Amino acid sequence: MDQQLKTDFPVDWVDDNYVSRRDLFKFLTLVSGALAVGSAGMAFVGRSDRETLNFDRQLIGKVSDLPVGASQTFTYPRQEDLCLLIHLSQGQFVAYSRRCTHLSCPVDYQAQNNRIFCPCHNGAFNEETGAVLQGPPRRPLPKIVLEVRGDEIYATGVTTRSEIEL
Amino acid sequence: MITPDDHHREHQLTIFVALILFSLLLILIQMWLCFGVVENLIAGKPAMAIPAAVVSLICFCVQLWMFIGIARIDRQV
Ligand code: FES
Repeated sequence: MDQQLKTDFPVDWVDDNYVSRRDLFKFLTLVSGALAVGSAGMAFVGRSDRETLNFDRQLIGKVSDLPVGASQTFTYPRQEDLCLLIHLSQGQFVAYSRRCTHLSCPVDYQAQNNRIFCPCHNGAFNEETGAVLQGPPRRPLPKIVLEVRGDEIYATGVTTRSEIEL
Repeated sequence: MITPDDHHREHQLTIFVALILFSLLLILIQMWLCFGVVENLIAGKPAMAIPAAVVSLICFCVQLWMFIGIARIDRQV
């Protein structure tokens, strides 16, 4: 009987150990491969994050209507995407998404403090770059790409994350 | 009584354990890189994603190289 078993299952203990070791290594290599693929995927996501998304050009305001230090709201690129246009200094305009990158509360411009403020959890962003100054938000505000033509200000796209100078 | 065969097996076992520990260390490094990249991506700083991916791929290549070596040794035994 024993002899029959040995013929049917010809793997002895030593060989069995070797198979286990190889299997363990195979498993570790697969885990390592999965982590490498994950990292490569995230690198790809990181790259695409740098892109500026171009949308249809849209008239969002007039230079003559917005004195230095003032701000106005508009929607871009969709009707539900609230944005904020700010006249920083003579001829220098910036615009950001109004949606706080923490929990989406609408942000407001505070000219006296040179910052964009979120009242929900006291988050604040740099008025020139949209970078986080304080509070729980971890990502900068998406920046709206602007084009000034004479008296008219147009929005032409949205820049997310790293292209915003930090 | 310890035979030369036992000695050889013990020596081989030590090498295997060392390789497994090294392999685990590589995986720990890869996991650390992965979490670091996720944290930075969430914070809007993707700058380290590409270098981390390169290092992770190198770790994987070393891992694969070890696995192929061990599979070859096993086949010879
Ligand atoms: S929602 Fe803006 S800080 Fe929390």
